[in-house]
Amino acid sequence: MSGTVPTDPESGSRTSAVGAVPEEPDDLATRLVRALVCAAVDPALGGVLLFDLEPRLIDPVARLFAGILTGAGQPADHPLVLGATSRDEDLWTRPRLRQGPDGMAFRIEPGPLIRADGRPGAPPLAVVPDLTRLSVAGMRAAVQLVGADLVVVEHTGLSHAARPRTRWLAACRSSDAGRLSPHLLDRFAVRLSAAGLRLPPDGRLLGALPPAWLTAATQGVPVATVTDDALERVRELLGRDTSAPGIRRELALARLARTLAALDGERTATARHCDAAARLIGLAVAEPAQPAETAVGPATALPSPPRRGPLQGDAHRDRGGRAGGDPQPRREPGERLLETEPAEGIGTSPGGAPETLAGPFPEDEADVLRDFAPLRSPWQHTAGPAAARGVVIGTRRARDLRDLAYVRTVREAAVHQRLRRTERFTISPVDLHSHVRASAPERLLVLVLDHTCRGGDWDWQDALTPFLQWAYTGRAATQVVEVGVAEPADELRAESFAARSVLDPRVLAALYRPAGRATPLAHGIEQAAQALRRAFRQQGNALAEAWLVVVTDGRGNVPLRVSHTGRVSGPVAAEGVEDAFKAAARISAMDRTRLHVTVVDAAREPYGDLPFALADRLGGSVVEGRAARGRGPNGEGGTVER
Amino acid sequence: MNRTTGDVRILPYSRVVEQDELKLALELNHVVPRIGGVLMAGARGTAKSTLVRAFALMAHAELPVTLPINATDDRVLGGWELDALIRGEARPQPGLLQEADEKGLLYIDEVNLLDDHLVNIILDVVSTGVLSVQREGLATAQHLSFGLVGTMNPEEGGLRPQLLDRFGLMVTTAQLDVGARHRMIRTVLDFEEELGREHSDWLAAADRDDAANRSRLDTARRRVPQTQVPDGIVRLCAEAAERVDAVGQRGEIVATLAARALAALEGAEQVQPEHLLRVLPMALRHRRPETAHGGMFDWGPDDEARVKDLFDTV
Repeated sequence: MSGTVPTDPESGSRTSAVGAVPEEPDDLATRLVRALVCAAVDPALGGVLLFDLEPRLIDPVARLFAGILTGAGQPADHPLVLGATSRDEDLWTRPRLRQGPDGMAFRIEPGPLIRADGRPGAPPLAVVPDLTRLSVAGMRAAVQLVGADLVVVEHTGLSHAARPRTRWLAACRSSDAGRLSPHLLDRFAVRLSAAGLRLPPDGRLLGALPPAWLTAATQGVPVATVTDDALERVRELLGRDTSAPGIRRELALARLARTLAALDGERTATARHCDAAARLIGLAVAEPAQPAETAVGPATALPSPPRRGPLQGDAHRDRGGRAGGDPQPRREPGERLLETEPAEGIGTSPGGAPETLAGPFPEDEADVLRDFAPLRSPWQHTAGPAAARGVVIGTRRARDLRDLAYVRTVREAAVHQRLRRTERFTISPVDLHSHVRASAPERLLVLVLDHTCRGGDWDWQDALTPFLQWAYTGRAATQVVEVGVAEPADELRAESFAARSVLDPRVLAALYRPAGRATPLAHGIEQAAQALRRAFRQQGNALAEAWLVVVTDGRGNVPLRVSHTGRVSGPVAAEGVEDAFKAAARISAMDRTRLHVTVVDAAREPYGDLPFALADRLGGSVVEGRAARGRGPNGEGGTVER
Repeated sequence: MNRTTGDVRILPYSRVVEQDELKLALELNHVVPRIGGVLMAGARGTAKSTLVRAFALMAHAELPVTLPINATDDRVLGGWELDALIRGEARPQPGLLQEADEKGLLYIDEVNLLDDHLVNIILDVVSTGVLSVQREGLATAQHLSFGLVGTMNPEEGGLRPQLLDRFGLMVTTAQLDVGARHRMIRTVLDFEEELGREHSDWLAAADRDDAANRSRLDTARRRVPQTQVPDGIVRLCAEAAERVDAVGQRGEIVATLAARALAALEGAEQVQPEHLLRVLPMALRHRRPETAHGGMFDWGPDDEARVKDLFDTV
């Protein structure tokens, strides 16, 4: 096979030669294009999230979506691509220079995300090739815009309030979905697994649609009435668990069913349309033994998505409803730890063959930790260097032409216009001002405190003081992960919070919390890894130094899967310790030029070697924690010189 | 009524299903603005933002002054109109805080995601009551007063204690049962369908109900000065605040004001203990020490038990 990239003469789309281009759309391609039409028809369905889409396909899918939004024969605008470097200034506002009758004019106009609000014409398309890599500004924009009734923008002299029209196409790996904010994921009404997608040329794909669909995509359709039976069916399809937060999923499925009915030219959406909507997004549909429907329209004539076995059906839905909102872990004596296989098989692994996703809500099944407060801007410290991507907190006289603050510049120029006595508004170099941006913290201290190792005779503050002093003098941000707290929200899980500095009163309170019984050390180490990974990823080179300090005796007694699922059964044995080691190994692989790791030895016997083994896995050192005088007469404790 | 400001479509207030505590908090704050605002916490997709906007449309016939999380300080504090400046005219552009002063309310969606420098500005203004701007050729100082209304999803992080304390009342969204979920979805879909009709009885009925609500609130506002607050109620309030270790005194003051507003809403001549008991969680839940420093917002049976005997003996 050659390495050329052929161009389809009909659509102009470039398709990789790695996979053969199919002539006719298969089921997945058909479902995708229909989902895109639904998103085009109803702004409330305007967020499309594709899981496990091959990166090379994001561009053709985006162009397909843009073509649907624009209509046949019309040139589509280039989609706006959002990524790790997207900033508020680029998304919400756009400085424009115009040639006016009196010379050049300058004004701030609505940016690419909101430029079409309240105006006729095709809605713009925003494309996020990897949702997990999206900048904080991009994620916050998505939360404000996707499927929203109203967006309010007050930015750089611009005041804008309208119903957003921009449609969104985002992709992410299903195995990463758990890392994302549910608050963000929840906004995407149309989701489907695109693993194994094979796109035929655009022309054939669109040609497979009923012609009325393409017209409806640009001109809209009358809203169909949704019957009560249909709503009941929506609830059956999504599970009857009322503890799930919000109603967005139900509403999205009902709206999808309604749109499919309208596209079929029907005035009423019934349970049949709900089944079709569920199939469209890959939701399991239990096929009742019922007579075949007569007069099935194109929208409802969708085949079921491929099934993957135990994750689908009731067990999957039950767990799905629990996601993110069930404060009460459901554990019962004798209950199996996991009713189904854990979710690690979901999604594509790098370089591996794509697997079929069990449903459109992989975040419910994910066993990875979600990022800590992913929608918040990183906390700001003046000690660090000025970052180019931080939040704008002021302006200053420009030293170069990068990151100019247009409004401030024009205001500055306005002050001097009379003095300059020029005929036209003039901006001179001395007027130029640039943004001052909040810098991210230069230093980070991650404290993992295992309260069950402290006992009543050890004040670990002495051992921690050097690290706390370092954090104080370096104005380090602080992440505290607590393991084995008495009366926790869930004793099988570690708890974590982020503080601006060690002066946060919660840090001191965390040092003296009473100990509980369970020690979910592996979960604590995993949370620490998460915090470190996020800091390195988000703050880039601005993060100069990070310390991970783990105070523990190493005796974790809660396996990671128990922490993730909240269900206990069977003997634990050494699984908790082994899981902690595995989690530690991931930290060991991080940037060791900037990350320092140490384990404070609680010196408890038996298993006095565990802190050393943990430090070994973490790639760190061990410092003496409990002083010699604090050790028991039976050889408890020891020195660290090993 | 300006329900569809441009193409913005907001469900009518009278048609928002359930969430009675959220509605009550907004109504109390409207009846007695000195309460100082409402913070609404709840999971995603529980109609928090819709409720605030619908309330503003019902009560004021316009959308609330909204501070988005990524607002820039020139829009918050005010500045100059850029187009006018280029034409050589100096025309001030009022900031959101000044607009909020005129309208009496500032709405912050996703308030827990607000950037620190904006939180600092707002705290400065609400704590001193003065907006002083000395920048970019502006030199102004003016007294401002407005209530803060914020919505947040606690999954995404907490609020600084100082800001938390500035919200007079705090409410959490209720978990909906199957029937309520069904009604809520039904209502949203019906609303979207009715918007497409030229003449909709459904929307007309909702407008009538909203008008009735507005009239009820206006009557209550007029009645507030005549509603007596007995000394026993004030004492009861102080004791309840002490029982839950409320931080500061703002909680007692707000609880008293809210009880008075509730009595006015219900047409009572003077505040009764049951009025106070009903508003106590709203006024004190975010002023407990554990909550002020980032704990849970739930007002549980333990909290109820701590104050219940006070009311049993009345």
